[in-house]
Amino acid sequence: MDLVLMFIDGIYLDGKTSKRHIARLEVNSDHKITRIHLATQREILSFEQQHYKVETRLGNTPREISFDDAQLFVCDNHDEIDKIISWQKKYSSKQNTWLYRLENNLKLICLSTIATIIFLYGLIIYGIPSTAKVMAHHAPQFTSQQLISSLDILDRTVFDASELSAQRQQEITALVAPYLLSYKSLQPKLVFRAGMKANALALPNGVIVFTDDFVNLTQSDDELLAVLFHELGHLSHKHMTQRMIQDAMLTIMVVFITGDVETFDLLTGLPTLLLDLAYSREFEIEADSYALTQLSNHNIPLQSFIDAMRNLEQYYLKQSAGSRESAINDFFSTHPKTEKRIKLIEQFNKKND
Amino acid sequence: MTHSADTPPVSNTNTPTQSHRKIGFEFRGDGIEYFKIWIVNILLTIVTLGIYSAWATVRNNRYFYSNLYLDNDNFRYLADPLTILKGRLIALAAFIAYYVASIFLPIISGILAIALLIAIPYFINQSVAFNNRMSSYKNIQFRFKGSYGQAFMVIYIWPILGILTLGILYPLAILKANEYFVRNSAYGTSNFDFNATYKDYGMIFLTALGIAVVVGVPIALITYFVPVFAIISPVLFGIMYFALIVYALVSFTNLFYASLNLVEHKFEAKLTITGQTKVILINLFLTIITLGLYLPAAKVRMTKYICSCLTMHANGDLDNFIAAEKENISALGEEFGQVFDFA
Repeated sequence: MDLVLMFIDGIYLDGKTSKRHIARLEVNSDHKITRIHLATQREILSFEQQHYKVETRLGNTPREISFDDAQLFVCDNHDEIDKIISWQKKYSSKQNTWLYRLENNLKLICLSTIATIIFLYGLIIYGIPSTAKVMAHHAPQFTSQQLISSLDILDRTVFDASELSAQRQQEITALVAPYLLSYKSLQPKLVFRAGMKANALALPNGVIVFTDDFVNLTQSDDELLAVLFHELGHLSHKHMTQRMIQDAMLTIMVVFITGDVETFDLLTGLPTLLLDLAYSREFEIEADSYALTQLSNHNIPLQSFIDAMRNLEQYYLKQSAGSRESAINDFFSTHPKTEKRIKLIEQFNKKND
Repeated sequence: MTHSADTPPVSNTNTPTQSHRKIGFEFRGDGIEYFKIWIVNILLTIVTLGIYSAWATVRNNRYFYSNLYLDNDNFRYLADPLTILKGRLIALAAFIAYYVASIFLPIISGILAIALLIAIPYFINQSVAFNNRMSSYKNIQFRFKGSYGQAFMVIYIWPILGILTLGILYPLAILKANEYFVRNSAYGTSNFDFNATYKDYGMIFLTALGIAVVVGVPIALITYFVPVFAIISPVLFGIMYFALIVYALVSFTNLFYASLNLVEHKFEAKLTITGQTKVILINLFLTIITLGLYLPAAKVRMTKYICSCLTMHANGDLDNFIAAEKENISALGEEFGQVFDFA
């Protein structure tokens, strides 16, 4: 009645001391683990009443059966242990062999490699930007209002009060006022600041900043308007909000997929940065085409946009001649190449002709 | 220090002749085998929208622990995926709350950041305790019992002093941190000890500084007087920087194991700069040309190399360690550490 079905040779560890015992596990004809024989002590431990758990198979690592009170049996006999698992009727054990089979199915491995690459590519190139776009446009208005402090932060860190004459500031404000009025829904407001070289930026709460260097650089009112429309494009597409959402989603994705963050430290930093730049160029192109549409709507020559771009390019080239290459890199990494932007204008012209 | 070196250890009741043994650590994992596990982990993580990531972490860790052998016995990783998932969800919720707060309410996020700064030593203690407890060798778990005050010292005060003294005390900061984490760790009921001096760490810093001066200054001078040289000097500086990093990595690892002991057992690491450089360069090259798919195999190669350089000098057999009592530690500390990237 108590027939032995099989013996499995391995190691027994009692969980109280680190002494290893050469051991032999006994399974009876009812598929139950009954005893463990310890070779050196000539001792027989009974396990008839005990619960045991067979650890899942993982590559070629040793097989483990854990019993009550942290006792452990370790061996390398994969076939026998798999038999014990198959005799267990529990759902969880079935699931466990399933995982091992998955990991050793060559076709599936190839397939999942390709699927994973395609999925991640799709997620990064299409998924995240379009989700961020939808989220940005559906975010309630008040969230943008809260961001009002971002100008305060910039004022404290990079900006100083504008050094343009009050008269010049008034001139420009008067120039843009009628245009801003027609984009009321964006709640645009133009301010002047010194610092940050020649630059114009749009903050999510509708504040558009022209820096002194930028204003001095422009040679006509139309150029100012062209850049104003570009910034209004950022506002109307809610690019700042999109970007924040994208950054958050990218971070979460990386943390979730890699699981243990430290493995990826070396490799996550770089692609995340590159992606951010790629996303940013997309935004610039979107803002450019918005500006072009608005310019032609208001019958302002598109050449003014080209002039503004050329002026900025000249300015940054001159800057970089003085202080090595960093300036030019800074400018061109987040923005598309000027040539590319001018090409866009030519295409736009052709379409409208 | 002085007496025990000459006389045999007190605890030696067995045959004293064969008591001293050199035992090598050995990693038996395989790059291709681990790749399969890794890619299935990623696939299932994507399919389950990230929930599987807890199981993936456990499977990854189990693979590395179970393949690590010392004296023909392997280590084990014991964590339950559900515990990790719970910790991970809480940490993620906190991270999102922090992120949202930092976008919309900078003031509150400032307060939260300070609170987090205060909590970090606690979380690091928890994280190390969890990791140690979830590691076992010969069915005996490791332990860690830290104190908040000491953790605060080694995480903030010593490094800050190191910076304020322009690096003069920085070797001491690293020494103190290692002392803290090692001396509060135990294998079962046996405590680890760490015996290094300020001089040991200082020498590594001085050597690195010496190399930087001896190699860096001539490059800078040549570049200054021969402007054409500017084309290759950034490359040379890059190589020097890489070499210094590898030198520091190798020296710190070797020093760490040389200073480590567990009761009467000692350890030794013999990493070499050439060996380590070879592994890093091969890994980097293959990882880049495979767009990251080589990463799991790279991790296996690195682990294999480091383990092949590690030895334990055992005094007597390793059968007499005794398990510590049970205690419960959540995975939350560990997950906080990972999500906020400070562990």
